[in-house]
Amino acid sequence: MRFQCRRLQLRQGAFLLQVDLEITGQVIGIFGSSGAGKTSLLEVVAGLRRSAAGFIALDDHVLMDTSARKFLVPEQRGVGYVPQDLALFPHLSVRKNLLYGHSHATLSSRVDLNHVAVVLEIESLLDRSISQLSGGQKQRVAFARALLASPRLLLMDEPLASLDQELKSKIIPYLKRIRDEFQIPMLYVSHSPEEVTQLCDRVIVMRDGKCLRISRPEELFEASTSMALKPGVYDSER
Amino acid sequence: MKYIPLVFLMLSLLTPITIKADEVDVFAAASLTDALKEIAADYEKTGGDKIIFNFAASNTLDMQIKAGAPADIFFSADEAKMDDLAKQGLVEKETRKDLLSNSLVIVVPADNPVKLTSAAQLADPKFAKIALGQPQSVPAGIYAKAYLQKIGIWPQVEARIIPSESVRAALAAVETGNVDAGIVYKSDALHSKKVKTAYEVPVAEGPVITYPAALIQGSKHEDAAKKFLDYLATSSSLETFEKYGFIPKG
Amino acid sequence: MTTDDAQVIGLTLGTATLSTLIIFPFGVALAWLLARKEWPGKSLVETLVALPLVMPPVATGLILLTLLGRRGPIGVFLQNAFGTEIVFTWKAVVAAMAVMSFPFLVRTVRLAFEEINPRLEHVARTLGASPLRVFTTITLPLATRGMVAGAVWAFARALGEFGATVLVAGDIPGRTTVMSVAIYSDIQLGDDGHAYQFLGVSAVLAFAAILFSNQFSRWGGAR
Repeated sequence: MRFQCRRLQLRQGAFLLQVDLEITGQVIGIFGSSGAGKTSLLEVVAGLRRSAAGFIALDDHVLMDTSARKFLVPEQRGVGYVPQDLALFPHLSVRKNLLYGHSHATLSSRVDLNHVAVVLEIESLLDRSISQLSGGQKQRVAFARALLASPRLLLMDEPLASLDQELKSKIIPYLKRIRDEFQIPMLYVSHSPEEVTQLCDRVIVMRDGKCLRISRPEELFEASTSMALKPGVYDSER
Repeated sequence: MKYIPLVFLMLSLLTPITIKADEVDVFAAASLTDALKEIAADYEKTGGDKIIFNFAASNTLDMQIKAGAPADIFFSADEAKMDDLAKQGLVEKETRKDLLSNSLVIVVPADNPVKLTSAAQLADPKFAKIALGQPQSVPAGIYAKAYLQKIGIWPQVEARIIPSESVRAALAAVETGNVDAGIVYKSDALHSKKVKTAYEVPVAEGPVITYPAALIQGSKHEDAAKKFLDYLATSSSLETFEKYGFIPKG
Repeated sequence: MTTDDAQVIGLTLGTATLSTLIIFPFGVALAWLLARKEWPGKSLVETLVALPLVMPPVATGLILLTLLGRRGPIGVFLQNAFGTEIVFTWKAVVAAMAVMSFPFLVRTVRLAFEEINPRLEHVARTLGASPLRVFTTITLPLATRGMVAGAVWAFARALGEFGATVLVAGDIPGRTTVMSVAIYSDIQLGDDGHAYQFLGVSAVLAFAAILFSNQFSRWGGAR
């Protein structure tokens, strides 16, 4: 997918998000420390926050263009969003959660409930309530729910941040399955070198609301087990 | 020099006695408000004690005194409330005097100056809302109901009565224009510029209205209260009452 | 218990119920606007809504009387448009109860909306739901407990309303005498015994309302 994010400007108090980039990839990572503006960028792409100026397009699909006075509301963007706290609807069953966005998707692009349930191994959970799920199960349900709306793009905000190492290594394969099986492009926010290396083909490095560079994962991290950041990563360079 | 502290000590012992000029708590019917205030001002100017008023409908005052409110004098708009207190032994019987009478009038809002040739015309449905004091408890309401029953129109107007907490409240209702007419004392009608008198009930035809005043048992300011009660019966006070529309008795 | 007493109780319950039903949709809508949106004049509206909570009820009653009376702007409008008069009728009772209990409803429901994680609503939008669908399928169901609590509080406040009611509707037996006013005028008449009877009924109703509210929140919480 060709992802364009040009001349974005979002001010929140003292923080200024300024992004101007174009990148092509299947799973695009957004890497940076907290406060870098990663979540804000996702919210702007989803249409949940409104940038004062700019142009956002996914391939040929324009989401926002201030010069043409175009702004698609979130429900029209076809952008799925999995926030860090998952935001599963507590008053609905797993099935109802999954199907929430399903009818909205047009018939031709519809991802199939059974297919997703099988791929993410949640078939047995369909009639449970959210409170009955374990951490890892909630994660997979949140992914499935976003998939079932047949999005053009999936936004993942640090999906594995609150999980322990064991659970993380269990969930990463599912993300790979989503990438390979459903071919839906992703913007993947993370501060974990391991996740970024395993899943992403390009990475946007952010700091203080700006995009510092776009690289491949291997250009960012040492090959050693520590996966430390290579020196100079945070120096501005494009 | 060293006696100064002693002098101060003695002065401080005296102050409670000297500074406590007597006060008299007078619980009086609402219709007496303006007249009594003027009389009290004159009294205080000529060196009399300070008069503290509590104006309300006589039934309210009756209830308050029974509940232990600190009244020295009760000045009621009808005998029934005074009798009620007397029955409970709360009144100093020898001090009771019937000071005043009053007459009833029918009033209308000043911007709608209807004139009535007889009170019976109140039965006309165009008087959709008629303000009275509560006909079961407020003296002005009791008198008004008695009169309406006497002239035979009570059944027709009963459903249109807007009961008020006191005669002044009934007057206020007419002033705001939220009712079509009201029955109040002549003294109240004179007091207000926002109402016009549509009909004066001739004294001979109306109910007998009596305003008794008396000292309350256990008053803490008996002497001062007696003095003021006597002052109320002097000719200058009665003249003032007359000016406000009351009818001095005896 | 005489038929007159039953009438007083019936009138009180009826007007309080009607008042609560009328303010409910407006209260919920306003609570949502206050909880979720910023708009010009918002703090002014917040202050106005809170006024009946802070001002003496008779002061609110006086304002109502001035507005709804025969010479008041709303009173004149109602006369010309519908030929009706509100003051000194049961409608004024409902109006007074509505105004006095409205802040209770708005405050409680606003809190309920504010407690809902906004991200739930955000995710619902990204899943394709219009703002209206988000409101009906996500926000409202999650706020149900708060809305019920708000309605119960408003109802209980309406049951006990006195100061504004007595000013704007008076004490007309059979037409505007609600329980609180009946208690007051019984005391005026010296009929304390009868007043205590109404007091008893009042206490029972208040107890029942609070019991119901607690039970409902417990039941809702078990989900």
